[in-house]
Amino acid sequence: MSRTLTLQPVRVATNYDDDGMLVFNGHQRLVAVLTHLSEQNEVAPGQWYLEAGFGHLGGISHPTFADLEAAQDWICQRLDEYA
Amino acid sequence: MVAPYASAHNLMIRKLESIVALSDEEKQALQSLPIQLAALKTDQDIVCVGDRPSQCFMLVEGFTCVYKLTSEGKRQIVAFHVPGDMPDLHSLHLEVMDISMATVTPCTLGFIPHEALRRLCEGYPRIAAALWRETLVDASIFREWMTGIGRRESYNRMAHLLCEFWMRLRAVGLTQGHSFTLPVTQVELADAIGASTVHVNRVFQELRTNGLIRTTGAQVNIPDWEKLKEAADFDPLYLHLRQDDE
Repeated sequence: MSRTLTLQPVRVATNYDDDGMLVFNGHQRLVAVLTHLSEQNEVAPGQWYLEAGFGHLGGISHPTFADLEAAQDWICQRLDEYA
Repeated sequence: MVAPYASAHNLMIRKLESIVALSDEEKQALQSLPIQLAALKTDQDIVCVGDRPSQCFMLVEGFTCVYKLTSEGKRQIVAFHVPGDMPDLHSLHLEVMDISMATVTPCTLGFIPHEALRRLCEGYPRIAAALWRETLVDASIFREWMTGIGRRESYNRMAHLLCEFWMRLRAVGLTQGHSFTLPVTQVELADAIGASTVHVNRVFQELRTNGLIRTTGAQVNIPDWEKLKEAADFDPLYLHLRQDDE
């Protein structure tokens, strides 16, 4: 399961941070939407935010990550827990 | 150092008088309560799950919160308290704490031994009833929050929390018109409304953009109370305040 994620850039209508990534698992199913918080964000400038998760990522956790690598690590780890 | 300050007693009397008209004798009994004042810094635990307190505290100055941690270490804040409140009054009858309480700002707390409170309640049933009522209002606030966390959108939940703060602070004379100081961080607000800090930050920006609040540092101003109330789906009934005029 690990490292079979694929990313696809997308624009997200959050009204604040538009640049995002669709994250697909190895079966090409959408598992998460990440948004790139702007440098002006007051909470986590420049970080990636789990805007939405699906399936096993669909809980109440919405963490932020320093970069896309860290986000993918977390997503893989979560998916592996349920694999 | 026992009860050298009249202000803690006066605060308690003011609070109880908003519930019941006190006789001179009852006021005298309250004035002679042993209240031990303590100054705590921000983010200090006051009582924790599993503790067996032998005293209750009245919040004299500052803000405190009631919280629970999940086994993963995630915090849910289930209530905030403001000056005049006695957040752990239930410890008088439930001997083991099932919830934790901490300071949100620097605080002055007035600790009152359970024994003294028991004697007060035995001697003055109307005071006992007023204190009982306090715990019932706390429970009502929990029910309102539960409804919000389960069924209101985070935007409405935040508006609701701001309405609640304003009304509760106004009841103890800590508002200036429709302005008040909210020294609560966005992390704490996120833990209270059950959202991420990123989301809480967006909600705040949206509330500002929509003209429902104005903020300068920790100062919050409500330019249009009716509009905020409507956005919040806020009905102050659950606070059971005696002065309902707005």
